[in-house]
Amino acid sequence: MASNANIRCRWIILLLAAGCAFPGPRAAHAADEGGELDAVAHTADGVYLDFSPFGSVELPRIFLRRSPWGLDVFPSTRAALLSERYVIEHEENGHAEVLHGEALRDAIGHHEHLYAKLKPVQGAIALDLSVTRHLAFGILAALIVAAIFLALARRYRRPEDRVAAPKGLFQNLFESLVVFVRDEIARTCIGPRYREFMPFLLTSFMFILCANLMGLMPYAGAATSNVSVTLTLAAFAFVTGQRKGTKAYWKHMFWPPGVPYPVRLLLAPIELVSLIAKHFALALRLFANMMSGSLLILSLIGIIFTINVLFGSLAATLVAPVGIAFTLFISFIKIAVAFIHAFVFTLLSAIFFGMAVEEHHEDEETHAEEQPALAG
Amino acid sequence: MDPNAFALLAAGIGAGLISIGAGIGIGNLAGPAMEASARQPEAAGHIRLSMIIAAALLEGVALFGMIICLILALK
Repeated sequence: MASNANIRCRWIILLLAAGCAFPGPRAAHAADEGGELDAVAHTADGVYLDFSPFGSVELPRIFLRRSPWGLDVFPSTRAALLSERYVIEHEENGHAEVLHGEALRDAIGHHEHLYAKLKPVQGAIALDLSVTRHLAFGILAALIVAAIFLALARRYRRPEDRVAAPKGLFQNLFESLVVFVRDEIARTCIGPRYREFMPFLLTSFMFILCANLMGLMPYAGAATSNVSVTLTLAAFAFVTGQRKGTKAYWKHMFWPPGVPYPVRLLLAPIELVSLIAKHFALALRLFANMMSGSLLILSLIGIIFTINVLFGSLAATLVAPVGIAFTLFISFIKIAVAFIHAFVFTLLSAIFFGMAVEEHHEDEETHAEEQPALAG
Repeated sequence: MDPNAFALLAAGIGAGLISIGAGIGIGNLAGPAMEASARQPEAAGHIRLSMIIAAALLEGVALFGMIICLILALK
């Protein structure tokens, strides 16, 4: 994600990295070079693909408009503005100002429209369905995974192929991943009914791994560093697990046996909240880990520019190798984190599935001992 | 004082406290796990698995705190 700290907006990023200590001197200069954006938003998402220094590609904008209702589809933000059905709300000193004609072309020339909020001339936006950077890379990751596994599945079409040893790098590499998910994650955590959950576990593992690794590519981004993507993944995990929940599982949640009646009434809501919180934490964990890595790199690069502002160029030149070395180190950590968090997400969802499909013994007294203290 | 300044201060202090808590937790978890797998290398796989699970759950709590700090800081 270091490529996201592009040259055009690096002054703003470094000022933000420096905190609120330096709001003044460089701000005007920064506004000349690009739109206003903050470091977090730039790392997070956007409506364009950044290929600087080769330029940028704008992504399609799709709006569901209300009063009057309608669906507006534009190939890019620029096209949306030039059609004159949408305007930029330019905020200055607190009050919004609509740009027209020359001012609009000027704003597009400065790439300001990429960071601005669009507003329809008639009506209001009910739903912004625009293709954002993370959505684009998420779809790309899904396509890569689909391509790999459709090609891989063709190797197992004949029954005799399924027992033969894998041939070649491609099949060996991915068969080992599939076997890893099956043996280390599904079989150990779910138990005898692991086969029902293999499609979900494999898909989520490969998609998250692919998306995480794309975050390390130059010019690409990690779809999993967007909280909407991870929340959707966690919602899938929630639905997949809960619809397979056994009768005993629901009984233990809402009417736990072997517990005094007043406590049962108290326990049910707690169990319900803990169930939802578990899946929410699943999403946040992946999101925060992917997000924090890129923010860390941004801060480490930003510290060079901060020191340049604070102590002059000599100190910055001395600090730069340290900052770059740390960035390299963090990048290596990020490779490990990409694998670990694909594993952790899949492992934890497998554990939640395992809880849902676990066969409970009818012996109520031993209930407390046989449940490991995993409910976090 | 500016209320935003208090929010930023709270976010910073909160992030520090979370780091301390998560650090103590992970340290308490990883140390004995290392010892255990050194003592019984044949159980290393199981120990690593349960260590990762516990670390992930521990981290989840820390992340909740971090998100709150982030909300405080970015508001």
